[in-house]
Amino acid sequence: MKVVMIFDQIQAGAGTKDDKMVPLAGKKEALGPAVMMQPMLKEVDGHIMACLYCGTGTYEANKAEVSRKLCAMVKKLKPDIVMCGPAFNYIDYGAMAAKIAYDINTTTDVKAFAAMSKENEETIHEYKDKVAIVETPKKGGFGLNDALRNMCTLAKAKVNNEDTTALEKEICFQ
Amino acid sequence: MIKKLESIFMPLAESIGKNKYLMSIRDGFLVSTPLLIIGSIFLLIGNFPITAWTDFIEAQGWAGFIGKPASATFDIMAILAVIGIAYAFAGRMNVDKIFGAATALVSWFIVMPFTIDKVLETGETITVSGIPFGWVGSKGIFIGIACAFLSVHIYAWVNSKGWVIKMPDGVPPTVEQSFSALIPAGVVATVFFAINWIFALTPYGSAFQFVFEILQAPLLSLGNTLGAMVIAYIFLHFFWFFGVNGGSVVGAVFNPILQTLSAQNASALQAGLPIPNIISQQFQDLFATFGGCGSTLSLLIAMLLFCKSKRVTELAKLSLVPGIFGINEPIVFGLPIVLNPTILIPFMLVPTVNIVISYVVMSIGLVPYCNGIQLPWTTPVVISGFLSTNWAGALLQAFLLVLGVFIYLPFIKIIDKQYLQEEANAVNTVEEDDDFSLDDLDFDDL
Repeated sequence: MKVVMIFDQIQAGAGTKDDKMVPLAGKKEALGPAVMMQPMLKEVDGHIMACLYCGTGTYEANKAEVSRKLCAMVKKLKPDIVMCGPAFNYIDYGAMAAKIAYDINTTTDVKAFAAMSKENEETIHEYKDKVAIVETPKKGGFGLNDALRNMCTLAKAKVNNEDTTALEKEICFQ
Repeated sequence: MIKKLESIFMPLAESIGKNKYLMSIRDGFLVSTPLLIIGSIFLLIGNFPITAWTDFIEAQGWAGFIGKPASATFDIMAILAVIGIAYAFAGRMNVDKIFGAATALVSWFIVMPFTIDKVLETGETITVSGIPFGWVGSKGIFIGIACAFLSVHIYAWVNSKGWVIKMPDGVPPTVEQSFSALIPAGVVATVFFAINWIFALTPYGSAFQFVFEILQAPLLSLGNTLGAMVIAYIFLHFFWFFGVNGGSVVGAVFNPILQTLSAQNASALQAGLPIPNIISQQFQDLFATFGGCGSTLSLLIAMLLFCKSKRVTELAKLSLVPGIFGINEPIVFGLPIVLNPTILIPFMLVPTVNIVISYVVMSIGLVPYCNGIQLPWTTPVVISGFLSTNWAGALLQAFLLVLGVFIYLPFIKIIDKQYLQEEANAVNTVEEDDDFSLDDLDFDDL
């Protein structure tokens, strides 16, 4: 299972919360949460194909263009699944993650989902019926391991074209 | 192995992290933090570690004025703690926060002995009426915590029974709130009135003396040990490894003890007495870790000076400035340290080594004890050591920082090597594997 992950500058290790204008970029290696996720990914026979990221300010400044470029890159890379997150309780990243996941699902053949914590109330309210959003703890909260495992389980199920309704009911915002 | 440890310790961390009492204590102490820092600035000016300066202000007769803001914060810190904790706890118990806090403060005063012993010039001791500094300062903190919880509990219980005065429509909300607090506050006051009377009949004479002797003194002497500090810090870092904010969890239990020990040190400094405690909030903040949990400033230096992979060196450059001021979020989640077994050992070992060495050199007198001046935890290393002790403390910090670099080094080199390999593979094998070429993915042609 080939996985692409989409991060903000903080998760990618490319900037602090003030470095909002980090340009759109990508790396072939596992970054940040992708490194944390490696053992769980192995369990579902997945590997990180690439991590794409940009600053939340860069996205805010030109949502349509950033989204179009990310979708085009996903089309080019042809992964089996795209994970947008974990966005934890980062509000800007949460909004970006949900919208990008939605755009990938609607404009490409690749499946995508988002992941964030319940603090992203507005985003969850707006997108929970349009795209699967896996629940994670907030930064420094409890249950990170389980959340990362849930993301891998959902990824595998989606790639296998299984019916994920019951699973999503359990691990995603409803 | 790690999974097993997780299944044992995470429920513990979770039950602490979600405990409404411990979280209220944590939040409550945050109320006094900025005020104690301000008091500390004046304490620092009055006691700057240069004798010529302290002699000068003494000769000018300024010491009393400069000491006043420190006295007005440190000497009454238990009042701030009671208000803060009761306010936070009232919020969690869904009762009016300001009335909950005010009622707790009054209930605490009800059980406080309003007497001060005064030694006359003749050597005779007389007792006068008044609110004693001893009890509103560090000695009254634990009974303050107990009063805050008990009074808010009673307040909430009366509220839940619906025993409140209801006003007709049209009465302004502030007036209505004021009247609705009347019965709950009355019940709380009555209970504490009884408690005060009952304790007066015991050999302790007051609830304050009882809690101080039975609870506070033993807990402080337990917390004021090397073992307690080391164990607390091992747990703290272990929790961080699982992505849980260890400082918040362990601090909820340990900080009331550390804060009280610090306050004792600050009072001693102000009174010109020997500093009593090695372990204190400052010992933890300034000598256990540098640059955030795990003492990652040492790790950053190792990354900058000895690593070659682009990812590690770039992350280090990016994290250096925040790291100097004690913020290490980019490293904790970016390297990452969370769920990264390779870095777990030094992440737990470096703070432990720092604590043990600092404790030993302080106890044999090479470095003075921390003076209780509450510096913001963002104060850079070496400066903070100097202000909190003297040049010896600054030197100790510098030594520990360098030692940490060498403890982290072999472990970060393993990660660095792995990343270098991945970076090389990325360049070499991309074309055949995944049919896209990138060192860095190029978005410009899309």
